[in-house]
Amino acid sequence: MTSVEASRPALDTRRGGIAVLNPDGNVTWTDEAWGADDEETGLPRVPLGGNLLHAYRGSPDPRAQAIANAIAAVFEGKVTYLEIEHRSDRESETSFLTSVAALRGDGIGAVLIHKVIGEATPDRARRASDMRGANGGAPTGAGVERLTPREREVLDLMAGGLDNRAIAAKLGIQYTTVRGHVRSVVEKLGARSRLEAVARAYQMGLAPS
Amino acid sequence: MTQVRFATNEQQVTTPSHFALVHYGDGEMREMVLDFLRPALEDQEQGIYLCGPPGGASRLLRFLERSADRDLGDEVTRRRIVLGQGDRDADQQLQNLLDPVHELCERGFSPVRVVGPAAWNVFGYSAPEDFLWYESRVLPGIEGLPAAIMCTYDAAQLPAPALLYGALETHSHTMINGVISVSASFMPADRYLKTRLIHLPWLEPEEEKDEVISASEDGPERGPRNRTR
Repeated sequence: MTSVEASRPALDTRRGGIAVLNPDGNVTWTDEAWGADDEETGLPRVPLGGNLLHAYRGSPDPRAQAIANAIAAVFEGKVTYLEIEHRSDRESETSFLTSVAALRGDGIGAVLIHKVIGEATPDRARRASDMRGANGGAPTGAGVERLTPREREVLDLMAGGLDNRAIAAKLGIQYTTVRGHVRSVVEKLGARSRLEAVARAYQMGLAPS
Repeated sequence: MTQVRFATNEQQVTTPSHFALVHYGDGEMREMVLDFLRPALEDQEQGIYLCGPPGGASRLLRFLERSADRDLGDEVTRRRIVLGQGDRDADQQLQNLLDPVHELCERGFSPVRVVGPAAWNVFGYSAPEDFLWYESRVLPGIEGLPAAIMCTYDAAQLPAPALLYGALETHSHTMINGVISVSASFMPADRYLKTRLIHLPWLEPEEEKDEVISASEDGPERGPRNRTR
């Protein structure tokens, strides 16, 4: 079985890269940038990650074993994001879920390409820091100044993942009142969704990372 | 903890359980749903909660009636079988899911089996990230309850790969090709929120997108759609 670790010496996990699964089952890691569609097949390079490790490990196909190694690299914290691309034998399989199709015994492509993105945490931390205001680090994101103190409290709790009922219990106010606050927060931050408002809160340094 | 067995094989899940069925098309979904629910159809001490997009629960009920070859109307009236519906607001949908589950458990049904097919293109519903947040809050919401919740993800219909990641990361178990397994990608809700959810590609500032997204995921035909349960 091929070891991912042994065959990826030059991979910069912060930049990401592409691991090509060779027909012999070995994985060759490169440092290529992101691509769009596969040049030969025209199929989109599409991601699929997650708990397919066990399924791949259970396959006698050496290519599947190599995939398992690549997935294991994700779980071992060497990389944080994994993409699998199949060049399917069947032209109709343009779905990004061709990997799942392969698991289901529908056929596996001759060549598989893994794309890996590593930790982006340092950049994100810097971005969050950059977006803090100049006045001693106070947040100055668009729309934030329009939030009332109560809405700021609600946003803090939203950023903690709480649902409206939990927020209501925490603040000792009515559920329907919380709904109103949440709606107002989303609107004032110019977000389209609850989670976009939360994401903004993190991006602006309003919430602890 | 309660063991929840399936009808046709030796598999079982331990409550509380929140697992994602990744399937292709309605045929496979119905087969797996029936495998999950049939033991409850035959055991009056178990509860069933069917939810989903508008009309989804009723369609599931009709399917169960055809499969069981009997009218389930009385059991719906007695609320052993409860029909619910998603909501355009993800938080309200969470309450719509949890309240009946708590009610069934409090009334002594055990285990309570829940099925919620997901639809991603319901006009006017919340953005998909809100529903992934919803998914992440389900397991904490049923802590300590004898409840098993099956969420169905039609792999042929998912409009964005991130939604499949979301399924893997917000459910403690997955069912793929009829096999239940632990989701190695699963993250507790708080961690999922802070490390994954707020970094969904379409929530990132424009200049950061190339860090975490492929062209295919960002393309107009694969962009996020609305979704409800």
